Amino acid sequence: MRWLSPLEPGKRHQGVRTDRFAGVGDWLLETEVFREWKGNQGGADKAVMFCYGNPGVGKTYLR
Amino acid sequence: MIDKLCDQAKKDDIVVACLYYDFLARQEQTAINVIGAILKQLAGRAGISKDVRDAFQDGKGDVGGRGLRLADLTRMLRTTIASLPQVFICIDALDECLPKHLPEVLGSLRDIIRESPTTRIFLTGRSHVTEDIQRYFPMAAVTHISPKPDDIRNYLDMRLERDTKPQAMNGRLRADIVRIILEGLSDTCV
Repeated sequence: MRWLSPLEPGKRHQGVRTDRFAGVGDWLLETEVFREWKGNQGGADKAVMFCYGNPGVGKTYLR
Repeated sequence: MIDKLCDQAKKDDIVVACLYYDFLARQEQTAINVIGAILKQLAGRAGISKDVRDAFQDGKGDVGGRGLRLADLTRMLRTTIASLPQVFICIDALDECLPKHLPEVLGSLRDIIRESPTTRIFLTGRSHVTEDIQRYFPMAAVTHISPKPDDIRNYLDMRLERDTKPQAMNGRLRADIVRIILEGLSDTCV
């Protein structure tokens, strides 16, 4: 499978899930905008959700 | 977020692929490698398609053993996604992608959505990439992320619990630390 790509994002994700402080950011999952996006309402037009913010605010995680 | 989706995936037939951009690795994080990495994760669940097998066999004869182009990978990714019930693709820190690679990655993702409109794509990054994203996805849901006081309070509690010099701590100092940090955040909290 390395033939497809040398990148191994699974490893990075394991690091994030191990280090992250649980619960931070859960508020996002309860927002209307997230539920609509995840719930597949709007089809292809609404396929993308983009979360932006300053460095260190917890876009990836807090540890 | 990825873990939450993965938890639901077990019961809802969802497959999740992720990619974390990293400033230090950005030379290697080309569009080809990024789309290939997403394909690699999904192929792990969907099984290797004939498309991918054929391309691998064809590529064996190439100099360097690999002749894949972005268009090939995007096509293979499209067929792999089409064979899965529902796919979520999560890409973190798009602002750390080299600017010359970003249009290619966003263009590939747009192609994938056109083919498989139920695919959901979750992106994060600093505000300056918003325009790039909206150029490719004009209807994207755009949300501002800022620290929430409850999250910070819980986080500070955890860090203070792990204080390596607890003998220097008292209730008043602890309360002051939490209060002052939360006050400092109040300008940016929503």
